[in-house]
Amino acid sequence: MPTPYEATLGPSAPRMIRPLAGRRVAGVCAGLADHLGWPVRAVRLGMIALIVLGPGVVAYVMLWALTPEAEGSADPAGGPDPVAERLGGGDGPALVLLGAIVGLLGLAWIGQRSGLDLRLGVLLPLFVIAVGAVIGLSQLDAARRNQWLAGSGWQTAIRLGLGVVVTAGGILALVTRDIPISQTWDIVVAVLVVLLGAALLVAPWGVRVMAELRSEQAARARADERADMAAHLHDSVLQTLALIQRQSGDAARVATLARAQERELRTWLYGGGASAPTSLSGALAEVIGDVEGAHGIPVDLVMTGDRDMDDGAQALVRALREALANAVRHGSPPVSVYIEAGRSGVEAFVRDHGPGIDLDAIPVDRLGVRESIIGRMTRHGGTASVRRLQPGTEWTLTLPPPKEPAHET
Amino acid sequence: MKPEAAPQDPIRVVVVDDHRMFRTGVKAELMEVAAGRLEIIGEAADVDAAIAIIRRELPDVVLLDVHLPGGNGRGGVDVLAGCVAVDSRRGRPVRFLALSVSDAAEDVIQVIRAGARGYVTKTITGTDLATAVCRVADGDAVFSPRLAGFVLDAFGSAAGEIAEVDEELDRLSAREREVMRLIARGYQYKEVARELFISIKTVETHVSSVLRKLQLSSRHELTAWAMGRKLV
Repeated sequence: MPTPYEATLGPSAPRMIRPLAGRRVAGVCAGLADHLGWPVRAVRLGMIALIVLGPGVVAYVMLWALTPEAEGSADPAGGPDPVAERLGGGDGPALVLLGAIVGLLGLAWIGQRSGLDLRLGVLLPLFVIAVGAVIGLSQLDAARRNQWLAGSGWQTAIRLGLGVVVTAGGILALVTRDIPISQTWDIVVAVLVVLLGAALLVAPWGVRVMAELRSEQAARARADERADMAAHLHDSVLQTLALIQRQSGDAARVATLARAQERELRTWLYGGGASAPTSLSGALAEVIGDVEGAHGIPVDLVMTGDRDMDDGAQALVRALREALANAVRHGSPPVSVYIEAGRSGVEAFVRDHGPGIDLDAIPVDRLGVRESIIGRMTRHGGTASVRRLQPGTEWTLTLPPPKEPAHET
Repeated sequence: MKPEAAPQDPIRVVVVDDHRMFRTGVKAELMEVAAGRLEIIGEAADVDAAIAIIRRELPDVVLLDVHLPGGNGRGGVDVLAGCVAVDSRRGRPVRFLALSVSDAAEDVIQVIRAGARGYVTKTITGTDLATAVCRVADGDAVFSPRLAGFVLDAFGSAAGEIAEVDEELDRLSAREREVMRLIARGYQYKEVARELFISIKTVETHVSSVLRKLQLSSRHELTAWAMGRKLV
């Protein structure tokens, strides 16, 4: 069996990782088989044989500790989270492991009884050490590492403590197997004192490393964020500024560009869930952006309340787009839109400061106003009316509340 | 200038903003549209300089950026806190008009509750800004359509909550709601007055009363709600 070192030198072999899918215990055999291109079953049988003979335990634990786990979830369709399953969520693998240990112990006992010298005095402590290592090192799995770094949970501490105690017990048993009990206590005390001393020496260093690791993580997150911001500013703001410089003679065009950029940046900075296209506010923001972009006239949107998009809201948005297009084409700025969405329906006002339009003077073949605005609103149970103000025109669109009780937004 | 200025003297204005380009632009614009009515007597770029110049010059109106460096890190709110009970040379309280690009409800509501007489966005035209400054100098309130929309939302008026008594602080009266709705629709004060068949003075009274409610109400939407939501 090649060592992992030799294996990784292989030219074409993939980097050894422990897959999340198809693992029995910790994914070591599966990963090894994958890595070497051997059948999984053969690798597993070989590993079991090696474990029974002794060195396999150490090999397995070392491979486990040194092999990184595959990232991401195993397969999208595959039932419960494999990590959770292995760590106790599902009992399958844990039971298999327990069964194997008990079985091996039984075999060893039978072997000893029948006269074979299996050197149980060595094997048993080795087992204990392995179990302790498994309990302790399982914390190092990627899925748990973040939690551990975040300093969460007494569960982790207990698991780690248990692992340390079991491993230490195993080592103690291994070292003191030829020594009478009376002397063992002295050794235990000596070992504890040494461990305590070592812990005292190592603890500050460990704490510092931890702190550094955390601050490094935070710094990296900040750097990522800054890079993100820089990329966004480069893609949007800098490009727009360059465009503005090149077209600085055309005031209207400059204003349009600045306005569009402002809207985009605002959405990016303060936006989020509020402007989801499934809500009336999101759809309206989109329409206003389009109209502003197409005509180069700023539109002020003020909205109170919100509502989910449905057929009626869709009709309102379309009619409003038409009214707005009329306002920016025939009216003059400032153009304002006010929408009030409440339990009693939606009221929308589109106002400009132009000379005003006369509905009766509009030719019948002009589909824009009659059909797209008034007809559309009427078909959805609403109303649309236009009136002249001293300067300007104001459209009023109303829409009744949705027939089925609306979801609270 | 004489210590006791006559009412027809130009309104003395201090511009507080940490962007030099913006200060220059505002000054140029105001001088262009309202040279006789307004006079820019000073400017400041941070909280401490702003408080110093306001206490020294005693202006009528301060154009106050919401976000400023210095002080306790609360920008315009710190300036307002540092200039409580300072009177202008006319003997009236110094009035503050908040200017902001952010439109975030929490910023706006904080400066208003700290005592600003109004809020406008920085995209406002020079003419409108001059009108707003004069209005604030007279002690009236200035609401942008957006602030009106926010008020309707925060006081639950959009959902139909109406105060039974005018004095009630946590809800708007029916008339105040009408005024706020028209302002949100982009109406000027005189258009609101014509629409409701009332005088401009009455409109101003209603707006000032809404401002007072905005400053004094303990309606939790105004504090908690504003924090989690943007005014865009």
